[in-house]
Amino acid sequence: MRSTVSLPSETRSSELIRLGCVCLAALGLVGIGPLCLGEYSVDILIRSFLFGAVAVTLDILWGYTGILSFGQSAFFAIGAYAGGLIFTHLGLTPLDAILAVGIGLIVASLLGALVGWLAFGYGVSDLYVSVATLVLCVVVVRILYAGGTFTGSSSGLSGFTTFDLSMPVWFALTGSFLVIVAALGWLLVHSDAGTLFVSIRENEQRARYFGLATGRIKIALFAAAAAIAALAGFGYASYTDVVAPDLANFKFGTAIVIWVALGGRATLLGPAIAAVLIDFISAYLSGSLPFIWELLVGVVFIAVIVVMPQGLGPGLARGVRSMLPLRSVAPSSAAQLSIASQPVITAQSDHGPSAIAVTALSRHYGSLRVLDDISFTAQAGELVSLVGPNGAGKTTLIRCISDGTERSGGDVAILGCSIGRLTPEYCARLGLGRKFQTPTVFEALTVAQSLRIARARIDPPSLWRRADTINLPQAALQVVQATGLAEQLANPVRSLSHGGKQALELAMVLAAEPRVLLLDEPTAGLTKAERRLIGGILVDLVARHRLCILLIEHDLDFVRQISSRIIVLHQGRIVLDGDVATVVGSELVRTIYAGEPQAIGAMT
Amino acid sequence: MINLLLDILTTAGILFIVSIGLLIVFGVQKIINFAHGAFLTIGGYVALLVTGAHFSPWLAPPVALLAGALIGAIVERVIVRPLYNRPLDAILATWGLSIVVVQLITIGFGRGVQFVTSPVSGAIHVFGADYSLYRLIFLGIAIVLGLAVGLLLRSTRLGLVARAVILNENLARSLGIDSDLVRFMTFVVGAGLASLAGALLTPLLSVDPTMGVTWLLNAFMLVMVSGTSLISLMLACVVLGGAQVVISTFGNPVLGGLTIVVLAAILLRLRPTGFARA
Repeated sequence: MRSTVSLPSETRSSELIRLGCVCLAALGLVGIGPLCLGEYSVDILIRSFLFGAVAVTLDILWGYTGILSFGQSAFFAIGAYAGGLIFTHLGLTPLDAILAVGIGLIVASLLGALVGWLAFGYGVSDLYVSVATLVLCVVVVRILYAGGTFTGSSSGLSGFTTFDLSMPVWFALTGSFLVIVAALGWLLVHSDAGTLFVSIRENEQRARYFGLATGRIKIALFAAAAAIAALAGFGYASYTDVVAPDLANFKFGTAIVIWVALGGRATLLGPAIAAVLIDFISAYLSGSLPFIWELLVGVVFIAVIVVMPQGLGPGLARGVRSMLPLRSVAPSSAAQLSIASQPVITAQSDHGPSAIAVTALSRHYGSLRVLDDISFTAQAGELVSLVGPNGAGKTTLIRCISDGTERSGGDVAILGCSIGRLTPEYCARLGLGRKFQTPTVFEALTVAQSLRIARARIDPPSLWRRADTINLPQAALQVVQATGLAEQLANPVRSLSHGGKQALELAMVLAAEPRVLLLDEPTAGLTKAERRLIGGILVDLVARHRLCILLIEHDLDFVRQISSRIIVLHQGRIVLDGDVATVVGSELVRTIYAGEPQAIGAMT
Repeated sequence: MINLLLDILTTAGILFIVSIGLLIVFGVQKIINFAHGAFLTIGGYVALLVTGAHFSPWLAPPVALLAGALIGAIVERVIVRPLYNRPLDAILATWGLSIVVVQLITIGFGRGVQFVTSPVSGAIHVFGADYSLYRLIFLGIAIVLGLAVGLLLRSTRLGLVARAVILNENLARSLGIDSDLVRFMTFVVGAGLASLAGALLTPLLSVDPTMGVTWLLNAFMLVMVSGTSLISLMLACVVLGGAQVVISTFGNPVLGGLTIVVLAAILLRLRPTGFARA
C-alpha cells in the first residue's frame, strides 16, 4: 500500500548521466593535458592532483560530517613513507610495490581508527578530534625524525628506485586518481549515507537517539579517509622520489584545511579545484615571489573565513551559472512515502516484561539530589503522564531512562532488558524512542531526508544510492499528512515554523518504530487543533499498537483526556502514582502543582 | 637533584608565561587564538629591534607587551569580532593571521636564526648548585605575573566584569555589561602577554619567524587541560612540564618533546575537564 504523496524531483538516473559526462570530460582533459601543457606544468600538476584527492577526503570529513581534522597530512605521510621505506630498503619488485601499498593502507587506516576511537567516544568534545589530529602530526613528525638512517631523519629519503613511467602516464594516473576519488566521493555524499553524514554534522545527539551508532560511523569514515590520503601519499612518493618529515607536519595539515575552506566546504568539487590551483600557482610563484604568495594565500584565507565562510567556490559557481543558459535544477528529494509493513502486535505481548521498569533510580550532581529513589513500572498499552512543577526532575528522569550513562544509582529496564551503562543509541535499539523538549531536528536537511534518517536503523542507507521512497509506519505517516508536512517534503527543515519542527520531530521519532515512547512536551507550540490531533494519534498508538508512552505535559486538560495513568513528581520524588481520577482529585497534587487548592478548580 | 627540581620549576614557569595569554582569551572569548604563536614571535622580534638599537635589554619585555597589545587591538576589531559566534572559524582565521605574520616577518627580517643580547648572564649559586640566573629570574617573573593577573581578575572592576562574562555571557549582557568591550580588552591583554612571553624567551632561545609555532602547540594543549582557571594552568604547567623535564633527562629527548602534547591529549580523553575542578 502506497500513500499518494509525491513530489517533482530530479531522477537519480539523470544525475548519474551528468556525473558520467563530467567524469568523461575530466578524464579527457587528463588525457590531452600533457600535449598542451609545458613539461614544468605537467610535473607540478601530477603532484597537485594528489593533493586535490586529499582535499576531497577532508571535505567529506569536515564539510559534510563536521569532523575538523588537521591530520590528513599525517596519513598522507604514512602512505608516502610506506613507499619510500620499502623501495629504499627492499627494492621494487611487483611484490614490494603491493607490500608498500598494503602497509600504507593498513597502517593509515588502523591509526585512523585509533584516533577515531579516541575522538568519537561518547561524551568526548567535538573539538577533541582537532586536538588529537594536531597531536598526531607532531608525533608522526617526531617519530620520523627519530628514525635515524632508517627513515632518513630530518632530510627524509630520496633517490630510491621507483616506477619507470613517462610523465604523460603519471599525469594520466594521478589525474584519473583524482577524478575517481571525486566521483566516488560525489556518489557517497549524494547517497543516503551522505545524508546521514550531514545529519551527524547537524545534530549528532538526535541521530544517536534514533539508534544510529554515530561514533562507529565516524570512526569508519575517518579510517577510510586516512586510507585514501595514504594512497595519495604513496603516489606522491612513487612519483617525486622524495619523502620528508615535513609531509606529516601540521602545517601541511592546515594547508589542506585552507584549500577546503577556500574552495567551499561541502561542495566536493570546490576543494579539489582549490587544492590543485593553489598548489599549482604556489609552485610557479615560489621561485619569483616566494613569501608574497604565501602571504597572499593567508590574507585571502582570513578574508574568506570572516566574510564568506561558504568559500569562494559556491560564489563563483553561482556567477558562472547565471551567465550560462542552464535550466535551474530542482532540489532533489525522496519522491514518495509508503507505509512500512509493521509486525502485528497482539495482546499477548502484554503478558511479557514491563515496557519500562525503573527501580530505585537516583541522579545527583554533587550533593544536589535531582532524583531520589524513583521506582515505577509501565506496561505496553499504557499512556503514563509525568506531571510536576518546573524543576521536579521530569526531564532528568526521561534522560536517565534513555541514556544509561546518566543515572547515579538504581536500574532501568526497557522491555525486560536492563539498559546498564548503554549509551543512547543502544538504549534506542532496545525499542526506545525519545522526543526532546525543544524541537531537536536536522536544520540543513529537507523534511524528507530527515524522515529518511529517522528510518536509517531499520532501512540501512546505501553508500551510493538514494532511495526514492521512504517507508513510514502508519502513525508517522498520519502525523506527516495531518500537520501539512507532506506538502513540504522537499523544503529544508530550517524553513519550518516552530510547530512544524515539533511535528517533524514527533514524526521522526514515530518513524523509528519504537515500542516505548518518551515524549517531553510534544505539543508545546502547536495549535489547539494540532494538539487534539496528536493526542488522538497517541491514544491510537497505545490502544491499537500496544505502545507504552511516557509523556511530560504541562497542559493538565490534555493530560486528563489522553492518559491512562498519571505519575506526580515533586522535588525529585514520586509523590503520587495512580489513575487519572485519583491523581486529579488529590488534595496533595493541588497543593504541589498549583500552589493553592482552589486554583485547580478549573481542571477538575 | 636540586638542578632537576629547578629545571622542573623554571620549565613550568616558562610554560606558564607562554600559555597565560591564550588562557585569558579562551576563558572570556571561548575561542582559541591560533595567532598566539605569532604574537609570541612578534615579541621576539621586538626584543631583537630594541636590543639591536642598543637600548637596555630590560626594556624589551615592556615594549613587546605594548606592541602586542596594539596589534592585538587591531586584530580583535578586524578579524576576531566578526567570528564571536563561530568559534571553530575563529581558530582558522587566527591561524591564517599567523601565516600572514610569519610571512611578513620573513620578508622583513629574513628566514635565518638571530640572537638577542641577554640582560644577565652566567650562573648563580643556589641551594648548593650552580644554576642559570636568567632562568631563575624568569621563574620569579612567572610568579609575579601569575599573581598580578590573578589580582587583576579578583579585585578590579574589569576582573569582576570579565569573570561575569566567563561564567555567563548572556546574563552579564542583560545586566548591562558591555561584553564586547570585555572581549576586546581580554584579547588585547592576551595578545600583549603573548608578545611579552616572546620577548622574555629571547635570552634563552634564538629568534626565527616560526619560533611561535612549537610554543603554540604546547600552550594550546596546556590551556585545553586547564579550562579557564589560572590555578589549573599552574598545576598543568608543573605536572606536564615536570614530566617533560624528567622524561628528557632520564629517558629520551624525542619522547621528552612529545610529553606535553601526548599526556595532555590522553588526559583530555580520560577526563575532559582536565586539571580544572569538575
